[in-house]
Amino acid sequence: MIKSVTLLIFALLLSGGAAISIAATTAVGMGDPKLELKHEMKDEMQHEMQHEMQHEVQHEMSHGMSMDSNGIVMNSNNAELPWGCESISQDYAFEVRAGRNYALVPGMVFGMSQHAYNVAPCSRVTVTFSNEDEVRHQWMVHGLPNYLYPTGMFHLEAMAGKSVRGTFIVPGDDKTYLVHCDMAQHMEKGMKGQLKVGRGSGDLWSIPTVSDTYRRADYLPEFTLWMMALLSSVIFLVVLYIARKK
Amino acid sequence: MKGYLSIVLVFFVVLIAFPPGWYPGALKVQLSGFFGSNEYRDLPPSVPGAKVDSQVICPPDLLNWRASQEIEGVNITASLPCVADNPYTVAAFVKGTNNVSHKTLMKSGLTSDAVEKGEDLDGDGDPDVIHIRLELVELNGASGDSDLPVTQYEIAPGIKPGLWVFAPKFAGMARQNFESKMARASLRAPSPVIRIEVGDHVKITLENTHYMPHTLHLHGSDHGFVDADGEGNDGVPLTSEKPVLPGNARTYELNPRQPGTMFYHCHVQPHVHVTMGLQGMFIVEENRPNNWLQTMNVGAGLVRAPSVAVREDYSQEYDLHYTDLDQQLSERIQDSNDPRLVTRSMHREYDVTDATADYFLLNGKSFPYTFRESIVVVEKDENVKLRVLNGGTKGIALHTHGHKFTVTDLDGVALADNAQVMRDVQWLATAQRADLALSTKNDGLHAYGAGIWLFHDHQSRGITTDGIGPGGNISAIVYKQYLSEAGWPKTRGVSFEPFFTPQYYQKQIPVWQSYAPDLFSDVGYDWWLFARLIILSLSTGVFFALLVSKVKSRD
Repeated sequence: MIKSVTLLIFALLLSGGAAISIAATTAVGMGDPKLELKHEMKDEMQHEMQHEMQHEVQHEMSHGMSMDSNGIVMNSNNAELPWGCESISQDYAFEVRAGRNYALVPGMVFGMSQHAYNVAPCSRVTVTFSNEDEVRHQWMVHGLPNYLYPTGMFHLEAMAGKSVRGTFIVPGDDKTYLVHCDMAQHMEKGMKGQLKVGRGSGDLWSIPTVSDTYRRADYLPEFTLWMMALLSSVIFLVVLYIARKK
Repeated sequence: MKGYLSIVLVFFVVLIAFPPGWYPGALKVQLSGFFGSNEYRDLPPSVPGAKVDSQVICPPDLLNWRASQEIEGVNITASLPCVADNPYTVAAFVKGTNNVSHKTLMKSGLTSDAVEKGEDLDGDGDPDVIHIRLELVELNGASGDSDLPVTQYEIAPGIKPGLWVFAPKFAGMARQNFESKMARASLRAPSPVIRIEVGDHVKITLENTHYMPHTLHLHGSDHGFVDADGEGNDGVPLTSEKPVLPGNARTYELNPRQPGTMFYHCHVQPHVHVTMGLQGMFIVEENRPNNWLQTMNVGAGLVRAPSVAVREDYSQEYDLHYTDLDQQLSERIQDSNDPRLVTRSMHREYDVTDATADYFLLNGKSFPYTFRESIVVVEKDENVKLRVLNGGTKGIALHTHGHKFTVTDLDGVALADNAQVMRDVQWLATAQRADLALSTKNDGLHAYGAGIWLFHDHQSRGITTDGIGPGGNISAIVYKQYLSEAGWPKTRGVSFEPFFTPQYYQKQIPVWQSYAPDLFSDVGYDWWLFARLIILSLSTGVFFALLVSKVKSRD
């Protein structure tokens, strides 16, 4: 009897000390740290080979880019079908508004009026992106086929208070695409969404109101660890006392 | 009795196991008097040096940015170090992003309203109505999706401290591409140098793309406390106007009457925001006819299209922006992705009065990266203008090897001829500026001849990166005959490969490994002593256990 109780107490104490670190480890374990590492290494290499310079070239080579005082539309496509699509299955039109006004949940600073988009495979999607802030914002989709969308990207960029519109045709397979604003920290602080084609390929992390933050802070009072230690000590003494009485 | 015998035996083992090297000094002397010295035993062997996996030291200039060229009628001087500014960005800053061809604008990466240049008010052949737009960028910030920082920027190999910078308005993504976490080359520290001309009607719009409130304070430049519309114009939340909230913008105006090297910075919680990198050089050039200025100098350093007044007296001009950074501050933007937690951590939990700086930067980088892009390349008999700002939290003692420079201006005010001094160490307090004339006349006073001559803060901490040297703000004056075709100084000393290895600044590589590995490499462990200590610990434990059980059995 005492043995099992002691074991329990020991487990409790251990969990007290390690609760937060365990929580953190689990979170990391759920992702793919190897993948992250791989990305990191790739980054290093790219840095050395001055891909940043090529970035500027890519900019120039993107035939599908139009830029005016309203903003940028890159890789718009309303006719060319992705491989495996016989015809356009359906037309969608999304009116997306963006800015600080749409930071609707705690912890966001910027946001979009819509963060989750569902469309049918091989459908044609037209997005009107209206920026209500006094700074630039973007609505970008990544991971589209490179043969239709250079660098796999469809990109809308609206200047302060302006609106831009663009169209793209999604491929035929079920997949979830990242939608975001790629200005520094804008995705991190709320401008992240997902586009599900067909049934999609699962939800992405950290989509406001859809999925939890992958690296969630603990949000605990400072005395939490002390409280856990105190509780387990008290229960330890109480159980010991009862066991002795018996 | 038998019990006591075992205690004595175990105690004997304890005594034997106790390393003689740890005996008190007096006892050791006594014992060696009786027994002489201990017999020879090898010291632990040297550990073979870690394999150095160096980054590319001098990246190739794939797009021919280093060469002198003419773009849109703008003459852009050659930039000889390995890494040069994008000449199309330079041309767009000189002509105005509203006045260049679509092709040049695309190659510059800027938006068409980044620097708008308009009317020539005084009819002297250059535009005087200037509208500059600045955004705010967080480098190496947190992500809710990864434990690694995002929009990454290295100040030295493997070192990615959280930073905030003002940035010119570049179109498109902040990262190099979708697969990368690295910031594009144009988004970097320090905040860009801004150049305007005396008499210009300048508007600077601060577009707050960051997630915290900020302002723009024009330190030392002639500007009104309020603008023409009566709106606050000083950028000081305490006295002139409310800060610019995320997603909002504010336009500041100035029409300067005096030239000089000035300063600009955010004035919201300045003890944190200025230190984080929201600071830049602000230069008001003398009014001259046909004075087309390079309105911004991304990453500071060589000015590739200098002003008319500078060209009158100098062969070249360099902007040198010194700063420091406290790692215990900058990591706070990486700890959490929740802006409320970050705000609390930076502005309430961080105590600047307990702070010490860890990183020392010249033009947004530390050594060895300074050697890629912030060296001063000269020939003999040149007169080079150096504009220096110390934006760090502590003073710097700027020292040049092989040269004595002349201090011509302090804090943007020209010194009278008889007040100009020649020296090889100039003290710059926080926020101070000095204009220096660097002459390469080989007369034993101004210069001692061709070579690779370092220049750096002469205080010890400034030449380290978190205590590891060489690091910090070390750079060099390099004579052309000592510069390779690719732009790397033909140094004659030690290999630079260890310095281009993240492990070096993570304190994992012996500092003299590259040239004296046998003498000063890492040392192995004394496993014999280690084994002895295991026996000592076990026997001590047994000894006390026996002792206690003996005392207890007596009761």
